[in-house]
Amino acid sequence: MRRLQRELPVLFALSLALGLVAFPYAWTLLTSLKTEAAINRALALDFTPTLLNWRAVLFESNIPLQMRNSLLVGLLTVSLALLVGAPAAYAFSRFGVGGSGLRFAILAAQMLPPATLIVPLFLIMYSLQLLDSLWAVVAAHLTFILPLATWFLIGFFDDVPRDLEEQAMVDGCTPWQAFYKVVLPGIRPGLAATGLFGFVLSWNDLFYALLLTGKNSATLPVGVAGFWTFRGIEMGRMSAAIILAVVPMVFASFFVQKYLVRGIGGGAIKG
Amino acid sequence: MKAVRLLSLLAVGMLLMSCAAPPTPRTSPAQPAAPAASVTLTIVMEQVPDYDIVAKLTQQFEAEHPNIKIAFDAMPYDAMRDKILTSFLAPSATYDVIIVDNPWMDEFARAGFLLPLDDYIAKTPDYDFGDFVGPLREIGVVDGKVYGVPYYNYALGLIVRQDLFDNPDYQAKFQQAFSKPLTIPATLEDYVEVGKFFKAQGVFGAAMQPQRGYKIFEEWKNWLYAAGGNLIGEDGSVIIDNAAGQRALEMYIDMHRSAAPPNSLNWGFDEALRSMASGESATMLSYNWMLPTLNKPDGPAGTLAGKFALYEAPGGKAVLGAWHWAIPKNTANADAAWTYIAWLTSKSVDKQRVIAGGAPTRVSVMQDPEVWEKGFGRQYYETVLRILEDAEPLARGARAEEIINEVGTELNSAVAGEKSVAEALKAAAEKTRAILARP
Amino acid sequence: MLRSLFAFKYRLLFPLLLVIALILGYPLAYSFWVSLHDYRLTAIAQARWVGLEQYFTILAQNASFWNALRNTVIFVGVAVGLELGLGLWLALLLHRKTTLFRNFFRSALLVPMFVTPIAVGLMFRFLLNSQLGVVPAVLRAFGIEVDWFSARNALLTLALIDVWQWTPFMVLLLLAGLESLPEEPFEAAKVDGASSLQTFWHLTLPMLRPTIMAAVIIRMLDAFKVYEYVYAITRGGPGESTETIQYHIYRVGFLYFRLGEASAMSYVLIAVILVLVIMLFYALRRESLAQR
Repeated sequence: MRRLQRELPVLFALSLALGLVAFPYAWTLLTSLKTEAAINRALALDFTPTLLNWRAVLFESNIPLQMRNSLLVGLLTVSLALLVGAPAAYAFSRFGVGGSGLRFAILAAQMLPPATLIVPLFLIMYSLQLLDSLWAVVAAHLTFILPLATWFLIGFFDDVPRDLEEQAMVDGCTPWQAFYKVVLPGIRPGLAATGLFGFVLSWNDLFYALLLTGKNSATLPVGVAGFWTFRGIEMGRMSAAIILAVVPMVFASFFVQKYLVRGIGGGAIKG
Repeated sequence: MKAVRLLSLLAVGMLLMSCAAPPTPRTSPAQPAAPAASVTLTIVMEQVPDYDIVAKLTQQFEAEHPNIKIAFDAMPYDAMRDKILTSFLAPSATYDVIIVDNPWMDEFARAGFLLPLDDYIAKTPDYDFGDFVGPLREIGVVDGKVYGVPYYNYALGLIVRQDLFDNPDYQAKFQQAFSKPLTIPATLEDYVEVGKFFKAQGVFGAAMQPQRGYKIFEEWKNWLYAAGGNLIGEDGSVIIDNAAGQRALEMYIDMHRSAAPPNSLNWGFDEALRSMASGESATMLSYNWMLPTLNKPDGPAGTLAGKFALYEAPGGKAVLGAWHWAIPKNTANADAAWTYIAWLTSKSVDKQRVIAGGAPTRVSVMQDPEVWEKGFGRQYYETVLRILEDAEPLARGARAEEIINEVGTELNSAVAGEKSVAEALKAAAEKTRAILARP
Repeated sequence: MLRSLFAFKYRLLFPLLLVIALILGYPLAYSFWVSLHDYRLTAIAQARWVGLEQYFTILAQNASFWNALRNTVIFVGVAVGLELGLGLWLALLLHRKTTLFRNFFRSALLVPMFVTPIAVGLMFRFLLNSQLGVVPAVLRAFGIEVDWFSARNALLTLALIDVWQWTPFMVLLLLAGLESLPEEPFEAAKVDGASSLQTFWHLTLPMLRPTIMAAVIIRMLDAFKVYEYVYAITRGGPGESTETIQYHIYRVGFLYFRLGEASAMSYVLIAVILVLVIMLFYALRRESLAQR
């Protein structure tokens, strides 16, 4: 009973936050079930639900294909970013390679507005004949996700006590083994969070995807933006697409958040 | 070979970008394509219902021309301009046929991106280029040469709720208040008066679109025309800030503050349309082809469908936007591209497109009884023709997009109350002059 | 041993440098080169060397650029500040082992960031519309009338939309940080009878500082790139009150084709952001050193 009393305010606060988060989605879901005319009378709740928008999005649009493309692009980008970023972050954290200068230099590249980068990127992809391929988008996404992932991971490596890998090396590990067998598992929450945020940034990018993809390689944001036409926004269908985009991500994040719990590696060594 | 050429081009470009030549055509238009070889044309389109109409018609074309395959790349409007531009910059075109929006036309043509079509038009039998409505046709003509043929018109008209104007109650009240009958407004003074009248009856007088940039510029320019003003005068000087301009902006602001829905400073096309469709507003200045959409039985207006009517904007002269078909200079398939364009915009196919619901561009099509009957009725097409004949392009010149945005910023500032009418118009005029003076 | 260690650290770094050089080398060189030229996309052949002229023009005369930069700094400050506060609070609640339905809340609260910002912008454009939107209608029922997109409020409204979408991101990053803190100091504090506020202030906060710094910097850099909400809702209006720097650069570079000027703006922008980031970095680091 005491526990419940103590937990109730917390539960209330979290529910309130959830309400604020969920309300726009609930409204969007409602919108996806309305006809065009009902959407224009947004505040009247006495509408007859229709599945027309859902049918159009699921069976008559490219949204399912675009979701697949986005998924592939996101996974490829994140895998590459972690594969390349984690060792580098470790080097920055442990050995201070290149001093602060190099760290910031890597970030600086990330700050360049997409509008400036897009023309040269386009020309490269054109000459490599990679336009309308997922690789073009992956490369473009890496330009901003890779520096951020590296930076974020530095913080986590900073948190791992140095004696961990020193101990491992005394036990006969090479520095590389110490890194991937001892240190890396210790920052599992950091890797999971980095992976998820890298994925989200890639999943949401519209600017690069608009220009570098084509008919077959269009990603989900391109599809969603496509409902905004010069003849107006197709709210019903766009709403259905939004809900469709969110549902798998909720499941995915439920899965990923388990890894947000402290890594086993760190605990095991301690004991 | 091709890859090597491209890579070397890129390498040279990296070192000597100042020397990079503009994309050169790989085949000159004079050289006809070998008739036996089959080509695939890639065509950029906006992903809107009209694209479906064109795609459907194109099946006929492919049946008639077994050598030419058509591949559409349909995309959101926002992507089109950027993709078309990058296609121009690439050594060989991604697109063989493009559509060009009114503000881009002069810029693209003067940059040497587009192929002149005069010879093609002259060589095509029965094409009758003069049949396209004059102002629409003129948009595709830059420095005396034709670079685009009309595909779609975006002329603005006054869309009203006819049932409100026909309501005897309102008519009586209006008569009593202003001692004249309630009619469709023909001048700005009438329009503001009618707007305020409806507001007093509980319906917003006008769903306006004062959003910064393109939207307010497009809408307000109708007011400017109605007041007898213009952005640039006959002699080429900037006259937006003259007395007519001031009057137009003052009245626009008066209407917005007293008769438009409140808190609507960021409203664009969508909000205005929804406000009309839901019966909250009595009038709006919008694209003429929104009328059939609003009157469609299962359309956005629900039970109000059928109660909307289209008229010429107050003052009579309308703002005209348009899509034109054009051929990029760096395509290898120019001849096939023209074959397609000429087919699609020919009288007979254009008629089919209009009957299916596309926006009309040809006079003969708008005067065709078959179109009236199978389309949206005689009155609609006659009104559209009247609107189109007395219309002026949204903007002309190589820097149209920038002028539209900069002037649209100042106009929006004035509506927001951040600047006075005189200040805003003076700044708009100065910016326009500066933009035009730039080398 | 020392030599192999020396080699080892460069071997760790090499892949990153290689990938960055591959994907960014040419774009960076190109854009810098372009920034020194009067380079218009519609007249590439006539590109003309102007040296630093465009930089001087931006620094000295371009009021729109500085206005956009000022708007963006306000936007970033308000948005990231609120996100940090809210995010830290929520992360702490979600970190508590006793919190009920913890796993459910942990994933459900992340939802806003899974939709592309342009769609979020359009969603809120209609949710907040005073005639068609549900939020003003609900507020009106309580007698509150807000013009969300007036000249005075629009920028803050956009910042609030950013808070809605990206606070979860802050929660995610901070939660990961909290989870990787060692447990011993907290157990020790418990034994010593420290109050939860004391523990938070003297233990959690200092230890979490590297994560907070990384999270704030990352979020800041991302928020500096905001243009989707602007594009979807206000187009920079009323007047220029919501013109953000990315939107401005996009307009000059892509809409008006003046890529040279836009590139010069980009490099000025990098310099400004870099100064901000380095200031933040050292401010936080000094504090964390002082705490130790």
